[in-house]
Formats: sequence, structure tokens, C-alpha cells
Amino acid sequence: MTADAPPALARRAEALAARLPALRAGSVRVASTVTAGAHARRRVGPGSSFWQFRPYVSGDAPGQIDSRASAKSNRAYVRQTEWELAQTVHIWRDRSASMEWRSGASLPTKTERAALLVLATAALLLRGGERVRPLGEPVLPTLERLAEALDRQSPANLPGAAPVATHARLLLAGDFLAPLTEIESAIRPYTTRAVRGHLLQVLDPAELDLPYSGRVRFRGLENEGDTVVAQVEGVRTAYAQAIAAQQAGLRALCTQAGWTCTLHCTADPPETALLALYQAIA
Amino acid sequence: MIFTAPWLLLGLPVLPVLWWLLRVTPPSPAVVPFPAMRLLAGLQAQPTAARTPWWLLALRLLAAALLVVGLAGPVRAPAASLPGAGPVVLVIDNSWAAAADWPARVQAAQTVLDRAQREGRDAALLATARILPDTAPVIGPVQAPAAVRNQLGALRPAPWPADHTAPVLPSGLPSGPVFYIADGLADPQDPAFAAALRAAGPVTELRAEAAAIILRPTRDQAGPFGATLSMLPRAVASTVAVLAQTGDGRTLARADVPVPAGASAVPFTMDLPPGVRNQVARLVLDNVASAGAVLLLDERWRRRPVGLVAADAAADAPLTGALFYIRRALSPTAELRDGGIAALIEGDVAVLVLADVPLAGAELAAVTRWVEAGGTLLRFAGPRLADAPDALLPVALLAGDRQLGGALSWTEPASLAPFPSASPFAGLILPDDVRIQRQVLAEAAPGLSERTWASLGDGTPLVSAASRGAGRVVLMHVTANADWSNLPLSGLFVDMLRRVVALSAGVATVVDATPLRPAEALDGAGVLGPPPATAAALPGSAFDTTVASPRYPPGLYGPESGRRALNLGTALPVLAPAAPIGSVVPLVASGGEQPFGPAFVAAALLLLAIDLILSLGLRGLLHPATALVLMCAATPAFAQQRRVVDDPALATRLAYVRTGDVAVDGISAAGLAGLSALVNRRTAATLGEPAAVTPGQSDLSFYPLLYWPILPTAPPADTAALNDYTAHGGIILIDTRGAGSGTGLAPGADQALQRVTAGLSVPPLAPLGPEHVLARSFYLLNEFPGRFNGGAVWVGRDQDRSNDSVSPVVIGGHDWAAAWATDAAGRNPYATVPGGARQRVLAYRFGVNLVMYALTGNYKGDQVHVPALLERLGQ
Repeated sequence: MTADAPPALARRAEALAARLPALRAGSVRVASTVTAGAHARRRVGPGSSFWQFRPYVSGDAPGQIDSRASAKSNRAYVRQTEWELAQTVHIWRDRSASMEWRSGASLPTKTERAALLVLATAALLLRGGERVRPLGEPVLPTLERLAEALDRQSPANLPGAAPVATHARLLLAGDFLAPLTEIESAIRPYTTRAVRGHLLQVLDPAELDLPYSGRVRFRGLENEGDTVVAQVEGVRTAYAQAIAAQQAGLRALCTQAGWTCTLHCTADPPETALLALYQAIA
Repeated sequence: MIFTAPWLLLGLPVLPVLWWLLRVTPPSPAVVPFPAMRLLAGLQAQPTAARTPWWLLALRLLAAALLVVGLAGPVRAPAASLPGAGPVVLVIDNSWAAAADWPARVQAAQTVLDRAQREGRDAALLATARILPDTAPVIGPVQAPAAVRNQLGALRPAPWPADHTAPVLPSGLPSGPVFYIADGLADPQDPAFAAALRAAGPVTELRAEAAAIILRPTRDQAGPFGATLSMLPRAVASTVAVLAQTGDGRTLARADVPVPAGASAVPFTMDLPPGVRNQVARLVLDNVASAGAVLLLDERWRRRPVGLVAADAAADAPLTGALFYIRRALSPTAELRDGGIAALIEGDVAVLVLADVPLAGAELAAVTRWVEAGGTLLRFAGPRLADAPDALLPVALLAGDRQLGGALSWTEPASLAPFPSASPFAGLILPDDVRIQRQVLAEAAPGLSERTWASLGDGTPLVSAASRGAGRVVLMHVTANADWSNLPLSGLFVDMLRRVVALSAGVATVVDATPLRPAEALDGAGVLGPPPATAAALPGSAFDTTVASPRYPPGLYGPESGRRALNLGTALPVLAPAAPIGSVVPLVASGGEQPFGPAFVAAALLLLAIDLILSLGLRGLLHPATALVLMCAATPAFAQQRRVVDDPALATRLAYVRTGDVAVDGISAAGLAGLSALVNRRTAATLGEPAAVTPGQSDLSFYPLLYWPILPTAPPADTAALNDYTAHGGIILIDTRGAGSGTGLAPGADQALQRVTAGLSVPPLAPLGPEHVLARSFYLLNEFPGRFNGGAVWVGRDQDRSNDSVSPVVIGGHDWAAAWATDAAGRNPYATVPGGARQRVLAYRFGVNLVMYALTGNYKGDQVHVPALLERLGQ
């Protein structure tokens, strides 16, 4: 399976997202968002478009009474407008060389799966009327342009510091195999500014199970050098503990910052991860 | 054990170096790109030194050791080093007795030469059978073994005994070991021969199992047909198959002669119908290629002089004489004699022809005695016989004769009716223009039709015959000249006369001292060919006393019309085992020089293949797919041995009932295979390999047709299973294998049929006629021959509607399977009797019809009614 070109990837992400209802990010915190947008919240609130007439009750400001509606009957009606506002979601994914890897021909590479999930989430957000911008880039209105922009991001294995509005959302996808301290320092600029983040760790099943045997020379993908393991069977348990410790540390990091963390294996269908992301962002 | 290339064993000391190299060189690891290096790197705190596992090391060392030893060429030879010091003298009896296992003897000689070559010694060859009549065998020159091997390759067994006169040793022959490959037969000159060999050096005698066996003619040639098997006494009882073959190699009959342990002569007889017996040209031992295994039968057994007697002196007048046409008809093939009746009988003729000669008085008594003793009397009618019929006639004659056609008659001259199938004339072609104008008439009597060999269109007999004692009287109801009919002018007359003569018993040849020129000679393998240049003419009186030799090779001598056979077994002295000359080594064991280096190399390669798989596994490169490919590469050799699953439900196939007689079962299998092949070729039906079944044990429901040959000794069958089979639509072809073969190739089969099928529910039977569906289910047939012809074939009567009028049994005795049988080369190994390609074709057609009948039932039965339907439509 070769990596898809951005438009094709966007189409696949669209198809994947089509099975979920539109995503509106963070309804809980939305009240405090200051940015007003053209998107209606389907509830009463500050906005320009008509929402409903409701009978006047005492306490309503008299200036709210709609004279034209009230003249049609004996009762007074108050005109209400729809609440219109939008959430901005910043997306980033790991484009480092270690992501361009898969253990078997039947599996997607990690970067491919990460891009798919990020874009599918973006598609859901766009359908829900939210604003999606690649980290450090302006808001882009269509999925295709988002896909292209994701491909332009710098090939670092951790996100750099970029201006993010307070209370904006952040979706970070990658393998997050770097030391936990590095990950923590990389996300600190965001956690300190009340940015709500979501981490998506995409791993190959071979990285979880280490399914090799015998004498194996492991070769790093990012110039880490070689490691010869005489008996892979012998280190399998220790490796499993190490990867579990990495995942637990990642989880702890997220919990401390009030972020969510989603773990995904490329052998699993993308829908499960998308559903987890959907529930985390909604 | 020795090594052909011992210096290669120097590779063995290198093995420890290999051990050290393998130990210090760990297997190269598989290279795997991996992202999570940081997590892995922490785990490899103390990298263990990678070492090849000890068992893999041992495996590789073993493979290397096997390779070294295997390439060094180990040879296991029981007596690897030759005794003595000088050149090897190889003495081979290439007599007739060595021909049967000649390849084994050559192999043993090659082994001796191999040893001599290995030890760098020269060799000399002595073949003890003479090549030239007057020259005793001579030891060949002492040469390199390679040259002797060429001589050995050109050596062939001779069709005569070995000559054990003491060989003349070449001058200056140093003392060397003697290897003597003996034929095992004692010879009067053995002591001198043995002394000469022992003088040459230590003698090792390579002796085969007592294999010499020879066919000797039976002295009493007037008795039953047979011969004597003469052999060296054998330790265990065995069975020898004797085949009766025609001149062109067809096998007419086979006798399995049991040979008890220790017997040196076993007489046997073959019970053959006279017609078959007269075709036998030689007796052959099955699967023994030797001149002793062939007994040529000469004209002594079949010579049939014909005596001609006519009433008037003008019998030989051209075109009108009574004997003119007979003489012209028989002279090319028979020896004709003239004279008085008494003189001819005295002179021992096989056939006596009386052309219109009434017999009376002493002559009648003499001729009657002669006929009853086995003579064949052929009489022609004529005015005299018509006036005075005597007693020695096959049928009673009405006085006078009958005239057909002519100025005062309304009748037309009569033509001939087709010959009855039981007649000896059956199969002769009837010319259209034969007309009978006058004949003598037989009195109507019961049994007249059985005595009629040929009849006119109106049914009156033209040729009648009757057995009289051991002989036969045949009457032609017309004259032997063209007065009464134009039959003597036609070719049919010649054929009829020849058939009558062929039916007669032969008489002994008069032996005289005329030298007979060799015509054909047997070679050492028992094959007839042109005689060798050394062959000379042999006096006729010396045939019984002459031992075969280069001058008189066994074979056929004399002119074409009177061949005499010189058989090896006739004058050969009684076979006796020879006393051993030197230390005796069994021939088979001595041939056992076995180089087993290739096996070692193969084992080494196998180990290396295992090592490859193990190494791949250790390196983690052994994916399941790789393992599968390796296993597939290794399995074809075994896959070829896998038998085809023999599920009877997967193909329609014919089946035969196992009789327990291997030969008969083989004929059944071959017959049904041949028939299946023809059905597959000619029809839309597709039949598989025929199956052998045992009623009661096998599931019969898969087979549309069951062929059941009945042996005279057959035990009662499980008729319940067969009844169930026929009740559910199966058809059984029951074959007694003897009908129409004369006096029985399968005597007692009819009684056995009653006994064997006692419980079988057979419906009322009717003879199978040309109107039956079976006669038109594929081909249109009027007769249903197999190997034999002439017997009736019985099927169920049409009245039974329960099974769509399909007969559950077809009973006959024509030995169909033998007619259908084909061997591996596609030939038909069993001759048809009376013979001819037409009979074979008809036999196959009957088989195809039978298969079609079994497969389609009465489908073609409607065709039977077509004439009736057409008639009704016409009304």
C-alpha cells in the first residue's frame, strides 16, 4: 500500500468520516470562546439569524418584543436569534522518517494512518462547522487544502511551538516514541495556555509485539545506528515492558495536562481510533 | 571396504579447522529496520557472544565428513583383493545353459575385471562354447582389462553345450587367479578341464542357482501332445509355464507345469483341439531366453500324405479325369501317393481319397479298420457310387442321383448355401458362380444337419461327414471332375480339400539318410534366424542322435514342405550338476561390488539442506511461506508415488469377478481394459480402469456390467450379492470360456456353471438372436464371437417387463475377455479360433454392444419394432 497523494487521502478521510455525525468541538467550553463565527449552534444565543418567537415573560427586556409578530395576536412575542460561534482546532502529525515504516506489506505505514485519522477528524470538524488549521498555519476551509498543508509541515518528530489561541483545541498525531521528557517539554507551551489537546499515538503492531526471532540486527530509521540482538525471543518481554512504560508515561502526561490520549495500532481498523477521537473532542 | 580415491580422505584432518571456523563465525543476523530503537537499545546492556549452536556445528561437520568419505569412493566388495599375483584368467561357460541368466553372468565377469583393473593386473578370457566346428576354445591374449571387457561385451551365449576339453594355456602365462563362471552342467571332460584350470592358478568358481532347464521332445509322438521338461534338480518346487506358439509367435495355449523339488524330468501334456494343435509350431518356456527353452515341432507331427484312388484308368486324363482336379488342388501342399487301396493303407497315408470307388468285401473291411484307427477317408460321389452305395458313408444315400437343370427339367442348377458356422469350411468365401447340376441325395434322418458340412441352397447336403472310431469319413455328393458340377473348377474346391486334409491326423515321416540343408537356426537366446556360416547339412536319419554343435546348430532343416527340427534337447545327455572345480562363490553375491560413495554424498547434501533450513530458522528468516516452498520442493519425489485414489464412484467402470486364478484374472483385467479403451474410442461412453470385485465383499452397485469367467474348479459364489446386483439393474456376463473350442480348452466349465450359479436367480433363457436388442444396441450383429465362436449365447427372454426387458445375465462360452485383451504394446496376446481379424472385430463389437446394453438398457429396443411400425403406417 503506497502512501496516497493529498487529494486521494482527503477523499479517503472524507469517506471514513462520512460514517460519523458532524463533530462540534468541546460544547462544554464553547461558552467561553470569544470568537463568533457564522456557524449556528442550533440554540438560542447571540447571533444574527432568526431562531424563534417566544411568548413574552416578565423579566424580558421590552426592547426584545417583536412588534410585527406581536401585532398578529393578543400576546406579546419576543424574537430570539440563534447562537452562532465556532471553535478552532489545530492539527499536527508526525512526519519523521520513523513514521514512514510498516512491518508487513499488508499494513499501512504509520504516517499514512496518522494522516488519515487526522484528516478524518478534520472532515468531521469541518462538517460540524468548526475551523481547522494546521499547527502554525492559517485556517484552511477545505479538506484537500488541509491535506496539502499537513504534507508541508516540517518533518520533526515532535510539534514545535506555534501561536495557538487560548481555549483552542490541538490534535497531535504521531508515534511519540521520543523520551517522555522531550514530549513534555514539547507540549508545555500549549498546556500552560489552557489549550485543550488530544494526543493520538499510532504504532505498528511489530512495535508492540516485537515478533522477530533469532539473531537480528535492528537498524534505526533516523540514524540511531544498529543494535544486534542475539536472541530476540529473550528480550521480547523486556521490550513489551518498555513500550508499556512509554505508553503509560504518555497517558500520565496527558492526564496531568487535562488532555486526552488515544492509542492506535495500524493493524486495527481506523474507525475505532476515529470513534475514540470523536468522543474525546466532542 | 576400499576407496577408489583414498587421497581425498586427506580432507578429514581439515575438519577440526572447520570446527574452529564455524565456532568463531556466528551466523550472520537478519537485518530489520525498526523505529523503536531507543526502547531496544536500553535492553541490550550485555550483548552475549553469538555462537553457532553445538548441534548445528555437529550437523555441519557430519555433512562435511560424509562428503569427504563419499567423494573418496568407498566400495564394498566381499573379496576385494584378487588372490595370486599374475594376470586374471576369466573362464565363462557361454553354453545354452548360461543363456537364461546371461546378463547376471556378464555382470559378475565385469566385477572381476573391475577388480583386476583396480589392481592394475591384466586379464585373459576363455569362452568355453565352440565357435568353429573343429576348433576347441582357446584362451584369449593377456590384455588390459578394458580390452577384455570389449571381448566380454561381444560374447553371446551359444545354442549348444560348452566344450570342456582342456584349454591350451598361452605360453608364458604366469600363475594367476582363475575365475570360472560355470553353467553348472557336468561334462565328461570335466576332470581334464579342471586340472588345466587349476594348473593356471587358484580357481574361484562363480556358480549360479541351478537354472538349466530344457524342453525335450516326447519319444512317443503318436500319443498325447506334450513334451518333457528336463532340468537340474531344484531345491524347491516351482511352476514352469510352457507356451504353445504358432510360427509367427502367437501364443495358442499355455500350460503351467508344476516341477516338484528334486525332479530332473517332468513330462507334461497339453490338451489341445486338433485344429489348434496343428497350428502349433513350437513349445516355448515362458520368460526363459535360451535355445534349450524352445522345442521346435517339425513336419513329422503334421505331415499328411494323401492317397488317391480312382475307379478307372483314365482318372488322370486332363480336364476330364476323376483325379485331375484333386491332384492339381493338393499337389502344392500335400504329398500325393497313388496305388491300390491296400498298398496305400499299408504305406501309411493320412487321407485316402476315393473318387467314385464303391467299396466291398475285404477292401471295405480294410478301409473301415483304417478309418477307425484314425484315418480320414474322403469320398467323391459318381455314377458308380450312386448305383451301389456301400456301408462306409457318413449318411445313407438314396439310390440313384438327382439332376438339377437340364433339357427335361424345370429346376435350375443349384448354388451353395453359406457354410454352417460349425463346419470346417466356415469362413471360406463362396463364389457366386458355383452351380451343382447333379448330386447324390442323402436319406432324411435325424442328425443329418449335424453331419452336413456344406449344403445346397435347398438344404440338401453337398458335403457330409461322420466320425468313425478315431477317424472320419467325408463324402462329397458330387464328382471330383466337372461332370456333375463346376465346383472342381473353382478356388473353393482347393480350399475345401485343404481344410479336409488339415483336419486329418498326421503320420510319421519316413526317415532316410538324405542330408537336409539347414534352413533356420536358433541362436543362444532361442530366437530363430538364418543359420550360421558353420552350419552343415545333416542326414535325416541322424536327427535323433545329433547333439547340437556349431556344425549342426539347433533349428529347422530341409525343404520348405518337409522341415525337420533339430532340437537341443533331443540328444543331449541327462543333465547332471557338475562337480565344483575351485572354491565356489554364489554368482549373485559375487556380483555385489557396491560403490556406496553416492549414497554418502547424497546424505551429506541432505544434511546440508537441513542445515540451510535450520540456519534460516536461527536467523529468523524462515517465514512459513519459505518453509512451504522448501517442503514443496522436497515433496515431488513422494508425490509421484502417491496412488490415484480409487474411488469406484468417480468413474463408470467395468468389473470382473475375481476367480482366484491369477492367469484368468489377468485375462479378465486385460480384456476389460481393452474393451474399455475401444468403448472410449468409439462411443460417447467414458469408462475408467476396470475393477476386480469379489461378490459379497465388494460393493457391486457401482458397476454396470460384471464379467464372470467360470473356471471348472470354481467354488460356489455368493449368489445373494449377485442376485441383489441383478435385481437392481446390474448385468452379468457369464463366460464358460470353452464353447466352440472343440474338445475343450475349459473342460468341465459347463458343469461348474451349474454348480456355481446354483442360487442365482436366472430368468427363463432364450438364445441370443439378431433380433435381440443386444444385437443392435450399437453395431448390428448376427453372431457374437469371442476368442471362440460357434456356441450359443443365452439371454433372458423378453417376457420379463420388470427390468424393462433387460436381461440380467448373458451366458455364453466364447471367452470374450481373451479376445478383447490387449497387452502393454496394444497387441492381442490371445489368438482367435478359428481365427481372423474379422472375428476379433466382431468380438469387440459384441463387447461394445454389451456395454451399451448395460448402460442404456432397452433404449435401442424400439428399433426392433421399426419394421412393424412401418408396416402399420403403410396400412
